Amino acid sequence: MAGNNGGPWGGGGGNRGDDDDKAKRPNGGRRPGEGPQIPEIDELMNKGREQLRVLMGGGNRGGSNSSGPNEPFKVTRGMVGLGVLGLALLWAFMSFYTVRPEERSVELLLGARYQTGNPGLNFAPWPFVTYEVINVTSENSESIGGTGTANDGSGLMLTTDANIVDIGFQVVWNINDPEKVLFNISDPELTVRAVSESVMREIIAASNLAPILNRDRGLIADTVMANVQTTLDEYDSGITIVRVNLERADPPGEVIESFLKVQAAEQQRDTLQRQADAYANTVLGEARGTAASIVEAAEGYRAQTINDALGQASRFTAVLSEYLKAPEVTRQRIYLETMERVLSHVGKIILDPAVGGEGGSGVVPFLPLNELMRNTTAAPALGAATTAEGN
Amino acid sequence: MRKSAYLLPILAIAVVGLMSSVYVVDEREKVLVLQFGQIRQVQDTPGIGFKIPFIQEVVKYDDRILSLDTDPIEVTPSDDRRLVVDAFARYRISDVVLFRQAVGAGGVATAEDRLQSILNAQIREVLGADQVTSDTILSADRRQLMNRIRDQAQASAQGLGIAIVDVRLKQTNLPDQNLAATFDRMRAEREREAADEIARGNEAAQRVRALADRTVVETLSEAERLAQVTRGEADAEASAIFAQAYGADPEFFDFYRSMQAYEASLLGSNSTMVMSPDSAFFDYLYSGDVPVAPPVVE
Repeated sequence: MAGNNGGPWGGGGGNRGDDDDKAKRPNGGRRPGEGPQIPEIDELMNKGREQLRVLMGGGNRGGSNSSGPNEPFKVTRGMVGLGVLGLALLWAFMSFYTVRPEERSVELLLGARYQTGNPGLNFAPWPFVTYEVINVTSENSESIGGTGTANDGSGLMLTTDANIVDIGFQVVWNINDPEKVLFNISDPELTVRAVSESVMREIIAASNLAPILNRDRGLIADTVMANVQTTLDEYDSGITIVRVNLERADPPGEVIESFLKVQAAEQQRDTLQRQADAYANTVLGEARGTAASIVEAAEGYRAQTINDALGQASRFTAVLSEYLKAPEVTRQRIYLETMERVLSHVGKIILDPAVGGEGGSGVVPFLPLNELMRNTTAAPALGAATTAEGN
Repeated sequence: MRKSAYLLPILAIAVVGLMSSVYVVDEREKVLVLQFGQIRQVQDTPGIGFKIPFIQEVVKYDDRILSLDTDPIEVTPSDDRRLVVDAFARYRISDVVLFRQAVGAGGVATAEDRLQSILNAQIREVLGADQVTSDTILSADRRQLMNRIRDQAQASAQGLGIAIVDVRLKQTNLPDQNLAATFDRMRAEREREAADEIARGNEAAQRVRALADRTVVETLSEAERLAQVTRGEADAEASAIFAQAYGADPEFFDFYRSMQAYEASLLGSNSTMVMSPDSAFFDYLYSGDVPVAPPVVE
C-alpha cells in the first residue's frame, strides 16, 4: 500500500528513476484520482496497522496487553470485511474514469500502448491499465513577441537589410492525435512556441523591412503557419496549427516617430501637388477667360469699326448724291453751317492785318498767347481792331 | 489463530518483495536495470519487467523528443558584424547505455549542459565559418546553416547516446550596444525618405505651377494675336468701305471730311481762334464797314 505515495512499483528501490519520471511527467496519470484517495488510504492503513499491532501484540506478548486475546480477534473479523469492501470500492474508484466530450483518453496496459478511450465512462482496471486524459478540441494559443500592451521588446527581429522590426504574433494550435502528443514530444506548448519563434525569425531574416510592414503581412502569417506545421509534422507531434495571427509588424518604438514622419512627408507631398494643381487650375481658368474676352473685344471692335465705316460711307454717299444735284449751294451751306457751329463755341480774335501796318505780319507775333489761353472767358480786346468775345 | 498471526506478516513481506521485483516500462520511457551501479539490463519496449528486489535498481529515461533552449551567445561571422544568437534543439535519448555512461547519475540535467556546450560550439563554428557572413545568416540560406549545425551537433552528440532531431536558430539579433546605431541608421534612412518625399512634392508642384504660368502666357498671347488679326481685318474692311464710298467724288470728300474734322476738333474745346477778317466766313460781316473791299465770294 505504501506504493501509492510514490508510484505503484517504486517501493523496490528505484527512487531516483522514479523521481526523474515524475518530474518529466507533471500530468502523471494517477494525479487526478490522488486527492480524494489519500485520506481513505491513510484511514485504512491506520486501521490496518492498528489491527496488525493488536494481532502482533496478542501473538508475541500474550496477555501483557490490556485487551484480552479473544476480543481483538472478533473485532478483526469485522475489520477485515470492512477493509476488503473498502479496498474493492477504492479499486473501482480508481479504475473507472470519465472522459468529457472535448477529451480523449489514452490507455496503457502495463505501460504499453493499449487503446484510446472515447467520451463517456471508461474502465481501466488498476493497476494494470493506466490512462491519460487529453483535451483535443480546445484551441491553445501561444503569444510570441509580446502582444497587446505587454510588449516587452522580445519581438525585435533583424531583417535581411539589417533593419529591426517589432513582431508580435499568436499561434493557435490543437491536438489532432493524442497518442502522438503523449508519446512523441515531452512539452507540446514549449515545442510550439520554440518552433513558431524560430520559423518567424527565419522568415523575417530572409525578408526586407518594407514589405514586412506593408504588403507581406498576410503572406508572412501563412508561411509561418505552413512551416511550423511542417516542422511539427517532422517531429510526428500530433499537433495541428489552426492559425497564425500576425498581431504586430511595426517599426520598433525607438524609430516609429521617424516612420510616422515619412508618412507625414508623403501626405505633405500630396498636399503640395494638390496645391500646385489648384493654382494651375485657377490661373489657367483665368487665362482662358481673359483670352476669350480679348478675342471677343477684338470681334466687337471689328463690328464697331465696320459698322462705323458703313455708316459713314452711307452718310457720305447720301450727302454726295444731294450735293451733285446742287453743288454750289450745298457746298456753301455745309461750309457756313459748320463754321457756325464751330465758331459759336470757340473764342475768337479777329485781327485785321491792316491795323498792324503795311508790314504784313503786324502785331501777331506779340500776342501774349499764354495769357489768352488762360483767360479765354475774359479775353481783353487787343489792338484797335474790333474784338468778338469768346464764350 | 496462531497460524494466521504469522501468515499476515509473511504475506505482507511477500507482497512487498513482489512489488519491488516488478517494474513497468511506460510507452514514453526506456529503462536501465542497474545492479550496484552496473548495467545489467536495458529495456526499451513498453511492458512489464522483473528484477531482483533490493539489489537491482531501475532507472527510467524519457523516450520522447526532449527540448533544449540554448542561452544567447555572441557570434562573429566572417564580416565581423557581431550577432547574438540562440537556438533550440529537439533531441531524443537514443542509446540509454551510452547516455548513462556519458552523463552518469546526473541524468538529463547533465546531458543538457553537455549538449548546450556542443550546440554552442557548433553554432560558433558554422556561423563563424569563412564563407558565412551576417548576410548569409540573414537570408534564405539560414535553413542550410541550421541543417549544418544540426548535422555537426548530431555527430558530436552521438557519443552521449543522444540523437538530435532538429536544431533551429531562434534569435539572430544585434548586440545591445549595436542597437542604438542601427536605430540611428533607420531613423536617418526614414529622414532621407521623408526629405525625398517633400522634395519630390515641391518639384512636382513647381513643375505644375511653371507649366500653368507658361500656358497662361501662351493662351493670352494667342488671344492677343487673334485679336490683332481681327482688328486688322476690321480696319482693312473699313478702309475698303471708305475707299469705295469716298472714291465716288474725291474733291467733295476732301471738303466734306474737312468740315467734319473742323467740327470734331474745335467743338467744345477751349480753343481761341485768331482770325483774319479776310476769311471767307466774314465776307458779309466786314463788307459794310469796308465798302472798298468787294466781297470775295462770288
